[in-house]
Amino acid sequence: MEKIDLEFSKSLKKYGAVDISPCFNCGNCTAICSLSTEDNSFPRKMLRYSILGLQDRISSSVDPWLCYYCGECSETCPKEANPGELMMALRRFLVAQYDWTGLARKFYTSKIWEMGAILFLALIILAIFVVFHGPLTTELTAEGGVKLNTFAPWHQIHIGDWIMAGFLAFFLLSNVFNMYLKILRNDKKIKIPFRLYFTELISLVRNFITQERIKDCEKGKVYWLIHLLLMSGYVILFTMIVGFLGWFQTDNIYEWWHPQRLLGYYATFGLLVGCVYFFIGRIKKDKELNKHSHYTDWTFLVLLFFTTLTGILLHFFRIYGMPMATYYMYVIHLMVLFPMLMIEVPFSKWSHLAYRPVAIYFSNVLNKAKELQKS
Amino acid sequence: MSNKIGVYICHCGNNISEYVDVERVKESVKNEEGVFIARTTMFACADSAQTEIIDDIKNNALDGIVIASCSPKLHLQTFREVAKRAGLNPYNYVQVNIREQGSWAHSNDPEGATEKSIGLVKAGIARTRVSKSLEPLTIPAKNIVLIIGAGIAGMRAAIELAEMGTKVYIIEREHFVGGRLSQWGVLCSLNETGKELISRIYKRLKELDNITLFTGADLISKTGSSGNFEVEIKITPRYVKSKCDPESLKNAIEACPVEVTDEFNFHLTKRKAIFKNFESEFPEAPVINMEDCTRCGDCLKHCDSIDLDQKTEIIKLKIGAIQVCTGFDPYEPKEGEFGYKTIDNVITLQQFKRLVELNKDQLLFKGKEIHNIALIYCVGSRQFGKINGSNQYCSRYCCTVAIHSSLVVGKKYNDIHCLHFTRGVRTYGKQELIYDEASQKGDIFFHFDENTPPTIEKSGSKTIVKVNDVYTDQIELGVEADLVVLVSGMVPRKNNSSVEILKTPVGRDGFLNEIHPKLRPVETVIDGVFISGAAQGPKNIEETVNSTLSAASKVNAMICREEIKLEPTIAKINEDTCEWCGKCSETCPFEAISQITHNGKQIASIITTNCKGCGICTPVCPVDAIDVIGYTNVEIENMIMSLAK
Repeated sequence: MEKIDLEFSKSLKKYGAVDISPCFNCGNCTAICSLSTEDNSFPRKMLRYSILGLQDRISSSVDPWLCYYCGECSETCPKEANPGELMMALRRFLVAQYDWTGLARKFYTSKIWEMGAILFLALIILAIFVVFHGPLTTELTAEGGVKLNTFAPWHQIHIGDWIMAGFLAFFLLSNVFNMYLKILRNDKKIKIPFRLYFTELISLVRNFITQERIKDCEKGKVYWLIHLLLMSGYVILFTMIVGFLGWFQTDNIYEWWHPQRLLGYYATFGLLVGCVYFFIGRIKKDKELNKHSHYTDWTFLVLLFFTTLTGILLHFFRIYGMPMATYYMYVIHLMVLFPMLMIEVPFSKWSHLAYRPVAIYFSNVLNKAKELQKS
Repeated sequence: MSNKIGVYICHCGNNISEYVDVERVKESVKNEEGVFIARTTMFACADSAQTEIIDDIKNNALDGIVIASCSPKLHLQTFREVAKRAGLNPYNYVQVNIREQGSWAHSNDPEGATEKSIGLVKAGIARTRVSKSLEPLTIPAKNIVLIIGAGIAGMRAAIELAEMGTKVYIIEREHFVGGRLSQWGVLCSLNETGKELISRIYKRLKELDNITLFTGADLISKTGSSGNFEVEIKITPRYVKSKCDPESLKNAIEACPVEVTDEFNFHLTKRKAIFKNFESEFPEAPVINMEDCTRCGDCLKHCDSIDLDQKTEIIKLKIGAIQVCTGFDPYEPKEGEFGYKTIDNVITLQQFKRLVELNKDQLLFKGKEIHNIALIYCVGSRQFGKINGSNQYCSRYCCTVAIHSSLVVGKKYNDIHCLHFTRGVRTYGKQELIYDEASQKGDIFFHFDENTPPTIEKSGSKTIVKVNDVYTDQIELGVEADLVVLVSGMVPRKNNSSVEILKTPVGRDGFLNEIHPKLRPVETVIDGVFISGAAQGPKNIEETVNSTLSAASKVNAMICREEIKLEPTIAKINEDTCEWCGKCSETCPFEAISQITHNGKQIASIITTNCKGCGICTPVCPVDAIDVIGYTNVEIENMIMSLAK
């Protein structure tokens, strides 16, 4: 017997679920969904679990991650119970469930906690720079650029990067492990052969790179393309910052065709286009997926946008030889960038970069294991 | 006797002529004895064909017609009207069915079909030759109705009939009017309570001079027939005179030492032997239930309006028609059915309605505050095959009442959760809106299969409802409930004496049966007895009033002219040959044959208003003393002779 929890659907509202109680279980949402399959039928099932408050079933479910929120279900719902937005809210709920520190739940359910954390991290960066910054030289390089590495030597910043990356990796991976326990180790009756973890690994890599499942979703190719642009831009920049900061944060001014500049411009373009596209969407509210913005959606978008904007300004201030502007912008850039990565990646919206492909991977492993068990 | 007969053979498009050679039939019968004209026609029922037949009758002074076409069920009346319009007695018209009995029955054998049709038409002609002109029978009728039951159905019909000019006697077995409706609180889709609705109707009823209400009254016998019934009514006294001082009465009620459980509140509370169910109840005077009263006399000390010596009376009434509005009883679950009577917080929907009515600010049951309410649907309804004498019908009103009650408690009390365990919600029609409202407000609906009903279990002090929910992959779910409400449906009234006395047929479900559910929904096979409301089958209030008004207009239409026209085709006794053996009377299904003294000997006599002309009495008569008019032995013999030729 599984116990019904009548308070659950109320607590779910904090994660952004609009009122789902009108649902009368017709299943139109599942019928219209282009991603729902016989093995994984959603979103009706998730709605039912949410109404009844079957938390264990929700926590161990991979389904919310398999939905890309085209919004067809919400448009089709005869009772306006908004299944699409519920799936979104459940993803937020799951992020909070996977996170063993409890911070994700705090950030999702309390604006004060989220804003406070951002401010706190930004002030730490500020304090570090106030205390430890290098000389504020106005002398320019031979090419006329700012000597940024004098103000903030890259090898010192790089150490900070690694520490940060270590933090991110630790929290994110431990949360993924938690997710593994909830999804794959929940049902003790299903025996998962060890080799499946390797044979299915390819799907993890493929989905991370191509994000091809979005294309199956009804909302079409444009969304997929822009999402891919944004995501690839982010990955390139993140890789350059964490892996090759010496090459990226240089005082040299390369020709426009130099890979450092081309990669940087491509990534910036991707981030900018992505941010603007999602901004416009959330303001216009013209599609189901952007009709109901949770405050964390905005926080993420605003932080990402300001990171990009300050990065662009920083770049131009440097190559056009404006030393003081460059130094200030550098600090501001890091004051936005650091909280964004520290909060969004392991504890909030950006964690989906890991959870989504991992969920597909887990789902494939689980389905294969079930098939084997049947035969 | 007809000697100038017109014969018409119908093609019925090609329904008949495809297999029956219509022309050959005409040729074969045109020289039969008595035939003056024989024609074929494409559609005998068409306007143009009817005009031609009328012209033929008028121009040739025909004294009989035969139309060979479809079943008399379809067009007998049509062609009787044709005869009438041409000035011919409609009983000199004979219909021969060569469609259902000819072409359709023998579509594999056109030759045989044609031969058979020729034979049938010839027999029809033979019958017409000896047919007699007949006139409809007219019997006097009293424009007075007896309505049994003063609930919403009875009272509403009484008002309507009185307004149409029919005198009304309305009898109520209880000592107060209102029936079930006065037990319900605020009604679905209204802002009015059942009590308020009843008060309104009662006031109107009292304004009308031609309505007489008897309470504590039961039908004990009925004689006579449609238009002229005589009934006996037993009236149990209230033991309280109608005019009395309210204050002293109140004291009298307080003084009564007897306490019994209150059936008005479905045994949730106690009442005295002298009681009123609620303050504004009608008639205003309270009643003493003599089954409970010990005649201790305590009440007499406080009130001189009480008279313990009042006697039961029997009165006789002469009436023209009877309308039965005896309503329903709520289904009472068996002991142990979903924990009823075995688990302390399991009650029925009807009890729940009373509980909500009795609790003002807080919903308390046995002193405990209620927050989670589990409602189990279809208790006592839609039981297929499992239980002996199962109620297979849907009780129609319970889904709506259960959901409406959930809305009421949601508004009336704080922090209430309603969980509905259904087998599919049937809030049909406009009632769907409240289903929507309930789900919007957060009520949770579960769906269980008939074969795996929910179980109610006690675990310590907690009551757990378990269900295999169809909406959730049939997994077993459990929830704690403070109160379990069994949404029980309707069953026929227990001890409904009127059924026995009026001999109205009941169906296998125990509800009263109409003649035809779609075409004659408020009439019974007992002429002059009409049925309406939930006595006939589960109905909600709207449907009850619809049916009761329909029955009222049927009653009025039958007796308002103070005479009733009947078909003349009924049995007739040959007074000379009848020797009264009683066999016909035993056989008659309509109690239409009585024994009388005629010229010094005992003979059978037909009660005109009861006889349906079925003819079952003719073959049992050992001396051939009974004829059915319009189907006399001579007519039938003539037909047989013709066919046997």
